[in-house]
Amino acid sequence: MNLQPDDFWTFSEWLFRPGAFLESAFLQGVVLIVLAIVLGLLVGYVISAARYGPGEGFYAVARAIRDLLRTDLPGTSPSRIVALARLAFKEAIRRRVLFVVGLFVVILLLAGWFLNPESDDPARLYISFVLTATNYLVLALALFISAFSLPQDIENRTIYTIVTKPVRATEIVLGRMLGFVAVGTVMLIPMGLASYIFVDRGLDHTHYGVVEANEIDGRIVGKTDRVRKHQHTFTIEAGETQGLTNFVRGHRHVVTRLDDGSFTIGPPTGQLRARIPSYGEIQFYDRNGDPKDSGIDVGAERLAGGYGSAGISRLIGVAKGNRKLEHSYVEGGTLGMAEFTFDNVTRQRFPDKIPFDLSIRAYRSFKGDIESGIRGSLTFKNPDTGFSLTPKQFTVEEYQIDERELPLTFEWLNKETGEVETRNVFDYVVTEDGRMQILLKCLDSSQYLGVTKSGLYLRPAESSFAWNLTKAYGSIWLQMTMIIAFGVMFSTFLSGPVAMVATAVCVLLGFSAESIYDTRHFIDSNIERGGGPIESLVRLVKQDAMTTQLDVEGVANTLIKSADAVIVYTMDAVATALPNLPRMVSTAEYAASGIDIFNAVLARHSVATLGYCLLAFLISYFFLKAREIAA
Amino acid sequence: MDTDSTAVADSADENTPAGAAPVAARSTATGSDVVIETRNLSKIYKDFWGRKKVHALKSLDIEVRKGEIFGLLGPNGSGKSTTIKLILGLLFPTSGRVLVFDKDATETKKNEQIGYLPEESYLYQFLNAEETLDFYGRLFDMSGRQRKQRVEELLTLVGLQGARHRQLREYSKGMRRRVGLAQALINDPDLILLDEPTTGLDPIGIREMKDLILALRDQGKTILLCSHQLGDVQDVCDRVAILHQGELKELGRVTDLLKVQDVTEVHASGLSEEAKNEIREVIARHGADLKSMDNPTATMEDLFLNIVRESEARPGARRVSATASDEPAADEPAADEPAADEPAADEPAADASAADGSQAGSDKS
Repeated sequence: MNLQPDDFWTFSEWLFRPGAFLESAFLQGVVLIVLAIVLGLLVGYVISAARYGPGEGFYAVARAIRDLLRTDLPGTSPSRIVALARLAFKEAIRRRVLFVVGLFVVILLLAGWFLNPESDDPARLYISFVLTATNYLVLALALFISAFSLPQDIENRTIYTIVTKPVRATEIVLGRMLGFVAVGTVMLIPMGLASYIFVDRGLDHTHYGVVEANEIDGRIVGKTDRVRKHQHTFTIEAGETQGLTNFVRGHRHVVTRLDDGSFTIGPPTGQLRARIPSYGEIQFYDRNGDPKDSGIDVGAERLAGGYGSAGISRLIGVAKGNRKLEHSYVEGGTLGMAEFTFDNVTRQRFPDKIPFDLSIRAYRSFKGDIESGIRGSLTFKNPDTGFSLTPKQFTVEEYQIDERELPLTFEWLNKETGEVETRNVFDYVVTEDGRMQILLKCLDSSQYLGVTKSGLYLRPAESSFAWNLTKAYGSIWLQMTMIIAFGVMFSTFLSGPVAMVATAVCVLLGFSAESIYDTRHFIDSNIERGGGPIESLVRLVKQDAMTTQLDVEGVANTLIKSADAVIVYTMDAVATALPNLPRMVSTAEYAASGIDIFNAVLARHSVATLGYCLLAFLISYFFLKAREIAA
Repeated sequence: MDTDSTAVADSADENTPAGAAPVAARSTATGSDVVIETRNLSKIYKDFWGRKKVHALKSLDIEVRKGEIFGLLGPNGSGKSTTIKLILGLLFPTSGRVLVFDKDATETKKNEQIGYLPEESYLYQFLNAEETLDFYGRLFDMSGRQRKQRVEELLTLVGLQGARHRQLREYSKGMRRRVGLAQALINDPDLILLDEPTTGLDPIGIREMKDLILALRDQGKTILLCSHQLGDVQDVCDRVAILHQGELKELGRVTDLLKVQDVTEVHASGLSEEAKNEIREVIARHGADLKSMDNPTATMEDLFLNIVRESEARPGARRVSATASDEPAADEPAADEPAADEPAADEPAADASAADGSQAGSDKS
């Protein structure tokens, strides 16, 4: 999993962006709410002016605001909201939405046929499948229940008996939203349980026996049988009856030697993980050993993506260019290296050993020895004293997490006494204030190793997979809440199907936000990448490549480009205003990669959801208030 | 009659023909006894582009006073429902104002004192009667105990205790109407708006509805109802406004409006044939014109209700009276309990002639 810069931010860094306030989520939220209020007032005034005339229209708008602040907000009663929420809940349930849970179970049952547990990383496959299925199913459901309910109530006129009671528009809106969120919650819980069981059982397998076992000096080294296209090797130390197999496809088994000399092999362990990483700062050095911001690019890494974290400053053109973290490569056999500096390496956090994970890519500039992988080395170094351990050599295993550990003691040849001492890592490699460096080098010359900041991390702790899955479901819940809020908002002034389409458009724009940002970036910086929608259409028809100049002459060219610019800039503004759903969906990637979903990420999504719900609530209120229910 | 001022009694002298300009000077009486007041109320329905579609209501000025039953009368499309929706704030006036309890009709707070029975009972089909009433009770922020008690009272009042746990989708039209009425009364409102209260009810239901309306009035509640069942309006309303194509055509006390000034009606029993002849002579002697002298006919409603009551008292086959026709149809109603769910039988035919006064006072003083 490749984390982006904003993934590393703490909650307050995200909210306020110290040093770059223009990028802060807080500013974005405030601007959005102020814009919504200003636009709302304008639209409200235009509508009321058309209805009552320019003077009276002004008073109508003023009255609506006075009503909200003086009577409707203070008069909003929790018990009425609960009553309306219960009604919405019952309505949805009686419409048999729980059928979706059944559908989900059926999908899981069928998925058993199609998901291949013999793949390289079955855990990732299974987890991302269940989370993606849940995500889209629940979002579609949220879209349907939220967009149709209120228009249907108005069409059936059941709303008459509600609005003629002392029910405020605030209560109708909140009641709906909460009722539907409750429906979604009730559905997510069984779906989550089913997912957990599905993943847990689906990955379970047993090796039935040992095909080879050799005893060397009391130490047993052997191989298990091949099940699901993999087998393990195992070692049982002398005098022990139990041993562990090696990690294959992210899991290992416990092998027990019985008294009669036969072996039993336990269930797979370690494939459902929730590692809690501790990231360091990364510094690259080029082949001459000079510090550089990044390593070598081996492709078009820097062309697209990663604008979302720049917030408003990107929209107004202050922040330019992408800020994507892509793998940066260090050249082998030179002074080039990547230097990771970790903070807070303490005895409390690492009482027994210092576990660390590698997730590194390799780039071959020539075929070399195809049998063996590209080799790298890791050097543990004290940044203050410069003391370092003997470099540890390793072979790169791409596209998986390579789990390693540093023992807390090392042997040191004391040159003065000529004796070998056992020294503690914390005394020599780690500084007083808990800093430690790891230097990553590539050993094969003219081959390259690629890392990002998230490619090498210490792993001080581990969370439970069940809890991580719950967090991933929490993220789905937040997305659902957001969509319900939008659906209810649109349904206060649009008919059911139109409200659904409008919500769906918002969702789609939210999902394609990064592509829109990309397109704008290309237009801004004159990079030929297909251009805006019209230019793309022309290219499609003319069968022109994306990277050539647009083959249209003169005025037509200018027209196409300027029309495209208008469209793209508008879409850019709209997409910036919408919730960044892909970011929320990508929490599934954490769970699938076996990394604990950062609490800061979840907190950000929660606050963003809350903000958008507030916005949707205000807009819904005014539309409902201004609407002639019986018209 | 050219005014709707508080002094109603003296407005009955003229019987202006329908179509005369009904509205003139406004009274200044805005005291607390005025519950609903519309001022120059107009409503134009527009289409999406703001083009005028229908002029549904034209400069309506009415006042509904505390403790009266006010009827809005008119053919379909005359603006009755529009008026009620404007009063409830379901629609916004194109011009003019509606004041309910001296508050603007769009204010939510007024709803605390209002009960509304819509044209058809627009209720949630998936709830049962008890849940429905409980839900509406919650909307008034009533406590659990209050709600329970009130739901019990109302179910008894509208006679639905037996069907309280059935979903509304299974209800007959009449039963839905009853639940609708019960929800309108859940908050013990001071003002009750009834949109076509008797549609969908059988004759017994209509009778009960009318009795209930009168009983509510006697409790001091104000009732505004709109209907095109003229008989119902005549039976219960204190005052009526007659609307036609959005215009107020007539407004006044029912008794005054229906009184035919130059016709005298005498009801007597036990008159011998000679006495009748004598009366004829007396009339002739005074130079008056005897229009008719007959045995009065009861209304169909009276007949029907009598039969049903009788049948309840003595179940079993009913002997068809000699005066009735030879069809034994009158047996049928005996089989059912009073809260019969069947859709209403045809309305009593008595109402159409009400306007010309020939039946005035036959049923009610």
